[in-house]
Amino acid sequence: KALIKVTPLRQEPTGKPITLEGVFAGMKGHAEGRLMQSHPLSLCNTSEDERQENIFISIVKLESPERQVPQCLPLLEKARLAMKRGAQAVIFDVTDDASAAVELRESLLNSGDYLLVVLVQAKDAEVLMGLVNRNEEATVRIETMSETPKWAHYD
Amino acid sequence: EVPPSCTRGCELCSEYNGCLKCMPKLFILLERNDIRQIGVCLASCPVGYFGVRNPDMNKCNKCRIENCEDCFSRNFCTKCKEGLYSHKGRCYPSCPEGFSATNGTTECTS
Repeated sequence: KALIKVTPLRQEPTGKPITLEGVFAGMKGHAEGRLMQSHPLSLCNTSEDERQENIFISIVKLESPERQVPQCLPLLEKARLAMKRGAQAVIFDVTDDASAAVELRESLLNSGDYLLVVLVQAKDAEVLMGLVNRNEEATVRIETMSETPKWAHYD
Repeated sequence: EVPPSCTRGCELCSEYNGCLKCMPKLFILLERNDIRQIGVCLASCPVGYFGVRNPDMNKCNKCRIENCEDCFSRNFCTKCKEGLYSHKGRCYPSCPEGFSATNGTTECTS
């Protein structure tokens, strides 16, 4: 599981971060950066979203498949494109597209490159997308949720 | 009834992403506003962008030509930054040899 600590800028430095949960779609890891929305269509070869100056983490709200939004690229390639443009990690809100989670897991299984992809949904996604909708700048820190500690001498 | 998050001309609207698909003939511009990036539908692309028409989607892409403020296509600048001269859709500090700017303009002609 992934631990997502979100600190709205207006709360820094005093504010306690909001702690959310997600799932690593592929490799686990840590990342930190400014929360930045990417429109699903901005992650296509034809669009040239600018490389952002600051250190950021992309969040992409995936629409329900029934809405037939043009896909333009497989989700793995979208994640790659986001990271090529400077994202430290990519968060996909899969609340409305459960199949996206399956697609990402499978494709990330065989991809060798460093791609930190986290899936969020429901309440956790709502908090993140709420910040985006209110255009509230926030810093996001992604960590791995520590497993229940296995005592070294235990066997 | 189009939800507030979408401009007129939007055929497929999303609360979070803004427009996902514009009505025929319109261009979709992915507008960055601080942390948000939403789709908006326009009859023509704004300054600094050029329109690309495709069967499934017409899109506004950013001009990428050096020292260019407005462009007609990926490779043809229509307005160079102040103080620069335009020649065959590119921008230069001065007109190339054999060319000169016609009186008072920044257009290089032979």
